[in-house]
Amino acid sequence: MGHGTQHAFRSGITLCELMMLWAYIYCYQLTLDSHINAAKTNHAHRQTLKSDRRTPPRSEANGISSSLPSNTPVAVYCSKTNKITQCNDIAKKEGIEIGHGLAQAAALCPYVHILPFSEEAEKHMLTQLAHRLYPLASDIVLDNHIHSNSVNGLAVRLDNLTHYYGGHTPLWKTLTQALAEADIRYHFASAWTIEAAKVLALHKLNTYLHTPDDIKKALSACPLSITALSPKVIDSLARVGVSCVHQLLAMPVQELGRRFDNNTIMYLTALRGETFPRVTLFRPLEHFDNFILLPFDIENTQHLTPFVTQQFEHLSHYLRARNLYTSSISVHIHFREAPVMDINIHSALPQSSVKSWLPLFSLKTENLELPEPATAITLTCQQFEEIDSQNGDFFSDRFNDIAQKQLIGRLNAKLGDNSTFQPRAADSHQFEYMTVTESSAGNCTGNYAYSSDITPTFTFDVPKPLIQATQICFGPVRLHSEWWHDSPTKRDYFIAQTEQCVRLLVFKDEESRWWVQGLFC
Amino acid sequence: MNKSLSVLNNHPHIWRARDQRQSETKFSLGFPRLDKALNGGVASTGLVRISSLTGMGELSLFKQVICQHRTHKLVVFINPPGILQSPWLENLGLKAQQVLVVKPGSEQESLWAAEQCLKSTACHCVVLWSNAVNQKEARRLQVAATHNDALCLLYTPPQQQASQLGYPKANLSDSQATPSNQSDSALPITLDIALKGKPHALAVNIRKQRHGWPEDNIVISHRWTPDNQAIKWAMAHNTLSDQALHSVS
Repeated sequence: MGHGTQHAFRSGITLCELMMLWAYIYCYQLTLDSHINAAKTNHAHRQTLKSDRRTPPRSEANGISSSLPSNTPVAVYCSKTNKITQCNDIAKKEGIEIGHGLAQAAALCPYVHILPFSEEAEKHMLTQLAHRLYPLASDIVLDNHIHSNSVNGLAVRLDNLTHYYGGHTPLWKTLTQALAEADIRYHFASAWTIEAAKVLALHKLNTYLHTPDDIKKALSACPLSITALSPKVIDSLARVGVSCVHQLLAMPVQELGRRFDNNTIMYLTALRGETFPRVTLFRPLEHFDNFILLPFDIENTQHLTPFVTQQFEHLSHYLRARNLYTSSISVHIHFREAPVMDINIHSALPQSSVKSWLPLFSLKTENLELPEPATAITLTCQQFEEIDSQNGDFFSDRFNDIAQKQLIGRLNAKLGDNSTFQPRAADSHQFEYMTVTESSAGNCTGNYAYSSDITPTFTFDVPKPLIQATQICFGPVRLHSEWWHDSPTKRDYFIAQTEQCVRLLVFKDEESRWWVQGLFC
Repeated sequence: MNKSLSVLNNHPHIWRARDQRQSETKFSLGFPRLDKALNGGVASTGLVRISSLTGMGELSLFKQVICQHRTHKLVVFINPPGILQSPWLENLGLKAQQVLVVKPGSEQESLWAAEQCLKSTACHCVVLWSNAVNQKEARRLQVAATHNDALCLLYTPPQQQASQLGYPKANLSDSQATPSNQSDSALPITLDIALKGKPHALAVNIRKQRHGWPEDNIVISHRWTPDNQAIKWAMAHNTLSDQALHSVS
């Protein structure tokens, strides 16, 4: 007995010094996220089409009928368990909750849009997410439907990476940025083993912990029901008065050994961070395989274009990062009933860009008739060709994408989250609102960027009174504020030059006062 | 003595005026006289200091350098003097996703950010606004830029130039300031220029350049912002009398 306690004590010491650290990313609505993303892509594509080519109204009407407006309640339904497994905010507002049956959901909200739940599709999406993270983190474990039903997540080992990223914060910022780009909702947590991190993530902790004390404290607060213990075991534990993880952590090992079978003990010791079960690490495929679920059924091959474009983009990123070209790809179109349709496209010249593959795809599918509406598409590419090292330009930007992410993660880690941003064009003609500076300009569509040749390089936060002698070189340009603003303004803008030849954007307001608003650099 | 001197003479970093033009990559600015004075343009890597007032066209001058090279990489603006406007960037020829703005809290943080950007290999050009850079900091930026194939444009206010030319400083009590300003002229950088505004033109003084001679007063005439020339021209060439203009038939 004495030997056992000593062992536990020693392993506790090593934990503090060389603790493994895993992050668990619990993706609780993959199907819904992929539906939203696909709908967004389609919308953006339609916008560009509208502005570029003036699509004839007929096809536009088609588009509206097939794509859903953004305020539709959407829910994902699993037919095996007869339960709603995922639903969006609008559906929640209508009263639909996760766990409801289909009939109950339909009764609450008759016009809810139901997406079928498919394990296969979710696994595809999870693998794609792992592919996305793989350039940033080496040890990734896919966790889907192994222990319990309908939990999809990724575990990423962090302790061996902190060294390369220079600390916990830059590493985590880099990973979260990649996740943000994937546009996926998730809960996360970190702990000494995958099992412990998973329990915390299911508890929706959403905090990055890396000291044993913090992790222990957080784990203690979790109820037993979210652990992977079988209901039988939880029952028997409840009978002896153990109802939360806190008591489990305090229990000595030999006590556990007397009560439970081997599997449960394995799990419990892993939860306590005393053993580290073997896991299969994710290895990326040697060929390219990208699956996408369509947000709605598509009958016309032309409407496939935005989704195929998205896949070509993935392909070109994949090829670029590996310094490869390809001369043949295949697009597989999935249907509900009919067998999968394979379209093989060959190109005379090995190429990698979206620009070169997309015209080939549209040429190939121009006269193609789909036997029934398509539900999903896969893009695969098996054969690659190395690029000869003559092409120096290719080498110079191979790791550019990753380097950019690392840089932004690093800057944000030290200077604060709001210290870096990319200026985006906004939907306004007024100089104050032309540019959006938030790091995530989510609410700005960016489709109708207002361009003008009298925009200054810099504007001030608030206009300053003009107090020096200037000479006007251009103007006036009269700008009214939009009618829906609370305090309407009417301003006459000029470009003026000071004696030192500094060019300013000045304006005269309605009361004939002069203000400086910006600079031309 | 002679021997040791000749050994020194072999050092590859010593440049002699009689040497032929170096074979380093240059980015043309697009202004023939200036390009000629700079032996082809701005070096593709290293630190360039521009002393100028804000708002004289100091960014537009480098339009070709910023926009036409290494377009897959980022252009980072650190500590800009205002809110950078995206339509202006578009007019210049920069895509929004290629631009990153960094707003650090202090001078030290902006220098740190500049160095990180240069070292990241993700940046084509780092545009930094800073009031004072000493020799050591300039050297760090110069090394970070040249080793990672990037360019750093450092914008400083023109006061530094005045103190260098020997004008008495107003505040002499700060004994530390004087030596740092004296060594300022000897910053170990690729190019040091000062800009002076003229109506619809810009005068460039090359104060110091690597592998070349300084040159003063290179005047560049430009039309980077729209002007009322068309209206003035129309007014000047108006042959109709006032009455004819307003007559109603």
